[in-house]
Amino acid sequence: MILAFFSWEWVFDHLDDIWDRTMEHLLLTVIAVFFGFLISFGLSITVLRNRRLFAPITAFTGVLYTIPSLALFALLVPITGLSVLTAEIGLISYTLLILVRNTVAGIDGVPMPVLEAAAGMGYTRRQLLWRVQLPLALPVIIAGVRIAAVTTIGLVTVTALIGQGGLGFFILRGLSLLFSPVGTTQIVVGVVLSVVLALVVDLALVGTQRALTPWAKAKEAV
Amino acid sequence: MIELIDVSKSFPGGGSPAVENLSLEIKDGEIVVLVGPSGCGKTTTLKMINRLIEPTSGTITISGEPVDTVPAHQLRRRIGYVIQQVGLFPHKTVGENIATVPELLGWSDGDIEARLNQLADAVQLEPEFLDRYPSELSGGQQQRVGVARALAADPPILLMDEPFAAVDPIVRAHLQDELLALQDRVHKTMVIVTHDIEEAIKLGDRIAILSDGGQLEQYAPPNEILREPANLFVANFLGTDRGIKRLSLIPVSAIELDRGPVVARGASEAETLEAMAAYGTDWFAVGQGTELDGWAPAADVGPDGVHEVRLEPFRTRLTPDSTLKDALDAVVSSHTSVAAIFNGDEFLGMVTADAIRDEILR
Repeated sequence: MILAFFSWEWVFDHLDDIWDRTMEHLLLTVIAVFFGFLISFGLSITVLRNRRLFAPITAFTGVLYTIPSLALFALLVPITGLSVLTAEIGLISYTLLILVRNTVAGIDGVPMPVLEAAAGMGYTRRQLLWRVQLPLALPVIIAGVRIAAVTTIGLVTVTALIGQGGLGFFILRGLSLLFSPVGTTQIVVGVVLSVVLALVVDLALVGTQRALTPWAKAKEAV
Repeated sequence: MIELIDVSKSFPGGGSPAVENLSLEIKDGEIVVLVGPSGCGKTTTLKMINRLIEPTSGTITISGEPVDTVPAHQLRRRIGYVIQQVGLFPHKTVGENIATVPELLGWSDGDIEARLNQLADAVQLEPEFLDRYPSELSGGQQQRVGVARALAADPPILLMDEPFAAVDPIVRAHLQDELLALQDRVHKTMVIVTHDIEEAIKLGDRIAILSDGGQLEQYAPPNEILREPANLFVANFLGTDRGIKRLSLIPVSAIELDRGPVVARGASEAETLEAMAAYGTDWFAVGQGTELDGWAPAADVGPDGVHEVRLEPFRTRLTPDSTLKDALDAVVSSHTSVAAIFNGDEFLGMVTADAIRDEILR
């Protein structure tokens, strides 16, 4: 049934276009997760220095997270226009809650005896953070990055409505041509490729985590 | 020398002080064990030495210099620290763990490498373990790594907080022996916290017995504490088997050995009966000079002397380094009621129950 509405011919005619949109999708995601991580990292360090800020920071990022994406973009358009900036502000906002929570949880999860031993060995507070707490929190932090990345890939399609969107562009245009094979083909291409992109990015992050934390594997083996 | 002068520590909202006006002097090269019931402030006291806990009042000096004249992290790099849960860094290999303090002090890679091999040897760790992660090691091996890590930069002082409490009794005894053997070579000033009086007796050159609030009840060598507990608290803490505990501190070589009812090979019936009468035993042993062949019950000696007698070997063979507690165990668990002492194959003499009691009462 679908096959009848799927045009391989359209696909082959638009390979360049499909590639460009896929890369755009990836770029929008990478920028969002990168800056989201930087901001979250700063917020997490702030929380570690001052615990009382944890509740307000999670409350704030939690509110951002609950705003419906379409509404958020709509609110931003009058200020920042139909721009990449508008898209990124929204996308970045959605990563913060997950990334802050996981970074703080990861660092909190470092066993007390390890911290006590480290302090007793003569690590300064900064050395403790960079050489002990963060490396040990890495699996949990990267788990947060994975969720943030996959969520962002989904949200990027929505930004098609404000003139961005990567693969979302195909979905949006396909919807406007719904009852033609060219329309359904574009919807299928947009949906399938964004799912594939999400899987590929997730696998790449899993690989990164394994490479960065060889000790975690040694632990599992026991 | 480590000196605590009138040291107190109160925790905010903690009610009565954890440690109150404690003064203690620890000499260079000695092992001092802080022991007492939980809540006596022994761990707090230990952690005040490397400033993981800052005292509320009082002074702590190392070699005459107050510990708060340098930043805490610099002080700690000069003091080895071992804790019960070991606290190895799971993300670093065993080698990297051991190299922690040398790395913080900026040693060269070559120096670190050489030191690692030296330390692996010192704590009896196979060198191939250096490239593994801590999670791949057994509890006992992890604790050895913890000790090696504390010794890495050759600090003059070692602080240990319940270092062997998390391993099983057999491994614990091994690790204690290894620590004592290590101390014979490295001569560190060690302060060890434990709740286990047996461990304190075994390890300590001096034992500080603390009661609630860090009150110092007695501070003396183990032998002295066991012989003359300063007060009822100490006596109760030592338990009712004080005499036997003290035996574990006295080597067999400290007392005079009996020759025992030993007769020469081919001795006559009369000679054998005379030997048994002299020692009041119902058995005799046969030997020549420093050789001891075995023993047999009185009934086995016949008109032709000990010639044809079938001898039982002495199964428990103690050495001059064995303790009187080992000797007592041999006495009560052997048919002959003596402990035979050998240096290799050389028979030195016997320990009797009377000799052990004389030593306790001395």
